[in-house]
Amino acid sequence: MKKPFKISLLVSVTVISFVIFYYSLKANNKNNPNIMLNKPLPAIELTSLVNANLKQELPLINRDKYYLINIWSSWCVPCREEHPILMKLKDKIKIYGINYKDKKTNATAFLNKLGNPFYFTGSDKDGSISIEIGAYGIPETYVVNSQGLIIFKHVGPLNKKIYLRISKIIK
Amino acid sequence: MRNIFLIILFIFFIPAQLVMASAEREINIYKNIRCLVCQGQSLNDSNSDFAVDLKKVIKKKIIKKQTDQEIYKYLTERYGDWILLSPPLKKNTILLWIIPTLFAILGAIFLIKRVQLAFLNKDN
Repeated sequence: MKKPFKISLLVSVTVISFVIFYYSLKANNKNNPNIMLNKPLPAIELTSLVNANLKQELPLINRDKYYLINIWSSWCVPCREEHPILMKLKDKIKIYGINYKDKKTNATAFLNKLGNPFYFTGSDKDGSISIEIGAYGIPETYVVNSQGLIIFKHVGPLNKKIYLRISKIIK
Repeated sequence: MRNIFLIILFIFFIPAQLVMASAEREINIYKNIRCLVCQGQSLNDSNSDFAVDLKKVIKKKIIKKQTDQEIYKYLTERYGDWILLSPPLKKNTILLWIIPTLFAILGAIFLIKRVQLAFLNKDN
C-alpha cells in the first residue's frame, strides 16, 4: 500500500468513528419509558385494597371515554407530593389506583388523611401488576382511552404542567 | 441393596440436577437483562425494587415453562430493546454489529500484510 493511501484510509476511519461516537453520545437515552404509548393496556385484574373479594379487570373497553391509572404507595414521598393533583383530577376522570407493595393499614390511613381520589384501588403486593403494564417504579400515571390504548404515560410525580396536559387530553 | 441405592440416588440426585439447571437458566436470563433504573447494572447485579420485582416475574415465567425467547419478548414489548444487554440484530442496530466485525477483518488483513512484508524483507 502506498503511503498517501494509508494516511487517507487512517484519517477517514478516524473521522467516521468520531462522527459515529459523537452522534451516539448526543443521541437521546435509548431507555424510552413511552414504549407502551399507543399500545393496548395489557390485561390486568386488580384486587381491591379494602375488600379482597372485589375485583376489577382492566382495560375497560367502550365504557368511559378516558380513565386514568395511577401507581402509588403510602411510603412513597413523591406520591404524597402529587396527591393534591390527583384530588383535582378525580372530578374530571375516573382514577384507578394501583397500590404498590404497601401495607393495607398504611395505605388506608394515607387515603383517610389526604383524601381518596380513586374510583377503585387495587393492591399490587409483589409489584407484578406494575411490571405487567410496563412500569419502572412509583409514582407512575397512565391515561387510557375507551379502546384500551395507553394514550399518555408519565413517570414520576404529577405536577401542574402534567395536570394541564392531562386536562387537555381528556377535554 | 444396590437397587435401593440407585433408587435413592435417582430420587435425590435427578431433582437436584433439575433445580440447579433451572437456577442456572434463571441467572443467565438475569445477566442478559438491564436494570433500567440503575446505572449500568444487570438485573443479576441489582437489588433495586424494579430488579427485585422483575426477577420475581421472570421466575414465575420460568416455572410456567416459558422459553427464554418468550420471556425476552414479554420484556421488550413493555420496556423496549434497551432492556436487553446484548442488542438484537435489527435494521437500526446493524451498524452496531457490522462495525466491530469490519474493524476485526481490517485489523486481521493489516496484520497478515505486515507479517508477509516482514518475511519478504527477511528473505531479501
